[in-house]
Amino acid sequence: MKVKTGKNISIKIDGEKFSVPDGINVLEATLLKKIYIPTLCYLENLQPYGGCRLCVVEIKNMRGYPTACTTPVVNKMEITTDSPGLKTLRRETLELILSEHPYTCLVCKDKNDCTEFMHSTRKVGTTTGCNFCASNGDCELQDLVGYLEISDVKYPIAYRGIEPERNNPFYDLDYNLCILCGRCVRICNEERNSEVLAFTQRGNTTIVGTAFGESQIEAGCEFCGACVDVCPTGSISEKMGKWAGLPDKSTETTCVFCQVGCTININSRGNRIINVGPKIGKRMNPPQICVRGKFVPGDIVHHPDRITTPLIKKGGKWIEVSWKEAINYTASNLERYRGNQFGMIGSPHDYLEDNYILQKFARKVMRSNNVDLLSSYPNKEIIEKIDKYYNTFPPFEIDSIENSDTIFIIGSNGSISHPIIENRIRKAFRNGTEIIFANPYDNRTSSFSHNTLIFSDGGELLLLHIILSGLLRNKNGEKTENLKLQLKELNFNSACNQLGISGSQVNSAVKLISDSKKLLILAGDGILRGANCIDSFDALFNLQLLQKNPDNCRIMFLLSEGNYYGGTFAGMNPDLLPGFARIDNKKSLKKWSDHLKIKLNNTPGLSRNEMINSISKDGIEALFVFGDIPGNPDLSGLKFFVQQNMFLTGISKYAHVFFPTTSFLETRGHIINIERKLKKTKQVIKAPEDTRTPWKTLSLLAQAMLEEGFQIKKSEDIFQELKTQTDLSFSTNEKPGKNYLPVKLIPFKKEKEHTEKDSLEYNYFHYSGNNLSTLIDDIKTITEYGVLK
Amino acid sequence: MYVKIASTTQSVLNKFPLKDKSNLIQILQAVQEKDDYLSPEAVVRISEHLSVSRSYIYGVATFYSQFKFGPPGRHSIRICLGTACHVQGGDFLSNALQSEIDITPGETTEDGKFDLERVACLGCCALAPVVMIDNIIYSRMSVIKLKEMLDRYE
Repeated sequence: MKVKTGKNISIKIDGEKFSVPDGINVLEATLLKKIYIPTLCYLENLQPYGGCRLCVVEIKNMRGYPTACTTPVVNKMEITTDSPGLKTLRRETLELILSEHPYTCLVCKDKNDCTEFMHSTRKVGTTTGCNFCASNGDCELQDLVGYLEISDVKYPIAYRGIEPERNNPFYDLDYNLCILCGRCVRICNEERNSEVLAFTQRGNTTIVGTAFGESQIEAGCEFCGACVDVCPTGSISEKMGKWAGLPDKSTETTCVFCQVGCTININSRGNRIINVGPKIGKRMNPPQICVRGKFVPGDIVHHPDRITTPLIKKGGKWIEVSWKEAINYTASNLERYRGNQFGMIGSPHDYLEDNYILQKFARKVMRSNNVDLLSSYPNKEIIEKIDKYYNTFPPFEIDSIENSDTIFIIGSNGSISHPIIENRIRKAFRNGTEIIFANPYDNRTSSFSHNTLIFSDGGELLLLHIILSGLLRNKNGEKTENLKLQLKELNFNSACNQLGISGSQVNSAVKLISDSKKLLILAGDGILRGANCIDSFDALFNLQLLQKNPDNCRIMFLLSEGNYYGGTFAGMNPDLLPGFARIDNKKSLKKWSDHLKIKLNNTPGLSRNEMINSISKDGIEALFVFGDIPGNPDLSGLKFFVQQNMFLTGISKYAHVFFPTTSFLETRGHIINIERKLKKTKQVIKAPEDTRTPWKTLSLLAQAMLEEGFQIKKSEDIFQELKTQTDLSFSTNEKPGKNYLPVKLIPFKKEKEHTEKDSLEYNYFHYSGNNLSTLIDDIKTITEYGVLK
Repeated sequence: MYVKIASTTQSVLNKFPLKDKSNLIQILQAVQEKDDYLSPEAVVRISEHLSVSRSYIYGVATFYSQFKFGPPGRHSIRICLGTACHVQGGDFLSNALQSEIDITPGETTEDGKFDLERVACLGCCALAPVVMIDNIIYSRMSVIKLKEMLDRYE
């Protein structure tokens, strides 16, 4: 809805006076005032289309019957939304639409009896009527037939005989049911900028399709599922909940797959997830979601391989046991490994509450600081640097991305790792924002940038340094002189040669950056997982400070997993206590020792990789893993190995005890997202009877080991404890200095040639370490095909 | 074949600025002029040049009947369905022809022998129904005559 001015104008709808904002159209005005006008093609947030001709209205002093969605309101407009004439016109239009759509059930006299008694007629190859359609009961055509009281369609059936497509991952297409409302085409192009769907052919042969009739995969579909959500008929239908009936409950919760933390709405029936999508009866769920949020939750929760009983390995075989037995067995074993030989690896997809209890258990019960998250970054200092940055410059909001005038993206594979941020970048590009995209390999983002810098692999730091030196050219002052001095050795031309980019490309990027008034920098995994991540971080920080007004500039760090920052905040880091308090800081050590009523071990802990590597050197003897980690033969050297996960995985063969866990939809909790906002999640369905959340497992274990402070009844108590002990409002009194950070020139070493496979090496499709492409066939299809490159 | 198309398409594209999709129809016309049709490979090249998707290009191109998506046959058959030919059974003839060579208008036979197009009038209504193969007009056609005629072409 575009509001031109802040002014309100007065209009009359059906004789009643209303005041509505100037600039909206008639349909939006009626929606605002809750007056119903039938429509099939209108969708909020999309450009008005005027395709279905059902929203026709009568307007005084206007000729004919204008469509409400394409007519802007003007002052003193008098609108009639319903009259015998309009009803006839709408009926006629709907009959014409229905003549190309299997309508037999819609106008059948026996339809009520049929729905009641014919339950088993559904799973059919072709839809010939409502009882054979997956969308029966959730169809806008059915609603409209009821509203317009159509009892007979006088036009002959024009069946198009198009072969339904059932070989796409995640959803089926049957264009015989399509009414050409254009919602899917418009959402794919306008909102998602994926440009996979288009109207092909023309006149009465028009259908929605792809180039040369190729499959959605070949056409480069990103499987965001937006078209599934908006389809008013059964033309595009999701495979998962297709024949599972209509949902009876909608729950709004937060997605944990990536740091964006989108709000998702989950429709369920009983204890089964039907789909993730708009609320019951709605067609769009703004903001948009991506393939992981849309299609993965239901598939992992109801996965056939899910383990729902605790297991103990006896004689090389898994034996199902009761929780009591498993807890007692584990507790008696863990007793023997207190101290530095114990390690714990938590999941960055688990909630703050879980990760807080994890580290509390490790530090208090096991007296060990060896705690880390599954997918920790190669350099463990980076997360602490990001936190410090957040204290200097409060994090950026996703909704503000489109307000930036220049966006500098470096080392990011956004269309896979953070599709929603990529979505905003594409929109910004369409609105004229300058996008500078620097990456070692070409990916989808480069089509949305006028300034693409493809540099040699491993060249992130060198590129940042030449950009810095370019920015410094016109700068004077004592501090900048110092920075200039540090970059003196850098030769612009030879550096460009080494990176394989032209100097003019760099110069135009430098000009855009220095001219920018509102710069946004997006630092992806190329920076965060790169070999020189700390130096690259410092270079980016200096780049921000070199802006005319650094406060208008922000760096967004594209951390991968939903609660990676939150998990570290909860204390799952070998160097950091909860709230990013350093373990070598005497004051914080004392504070937490007092709180946990124990003298905390002050030996610095080991990171994930250090833990695994030390197994063979008699360092770590007992390990507790929540989720899955890459297989490593060294794990066989562990004396005691516990895994808590939803599935048995590659490392399970080394484990001695296995606890079944809950998924993020089966428990309540909090995550901290990329905007450093605390996001609450809700319990959507009940967890299987014999599964426990990680915090519950550990509290049972601690109680079995006769430890105090673990008598926890509900997760809210843990959150309360964390809240009182740390600052979750993120207000900070300490103002770290805004001084340039020292620059260290590191000679550029060209890494091996980057292949497309490498770009997918870091697997963004995982949940708690479990590889989604081995668990879910459709995810396997899309990752193998590399469509999401 | 592929190399040829890629190079002719590239020579056309060189005349147009990158990422400016307002030139799309001109590009499509120029490519079709050189290649006789729009191949999937050419569409890929155009989509890369203009930074628009192939689906978008295909959607635009299929809207206009001037664009073809397969190579033309060695002989082109044009069957007239204008008023006079229609009255004289052109429709019947057209259906028989389509089932005989197993293609619909706008397509090319698998062996590359014929392509088929429907036209509205060939300007010789007195001879209806007429069929034009290459540049020769065959008058007062019947299904049997048409079958015999097709056998003469290699």
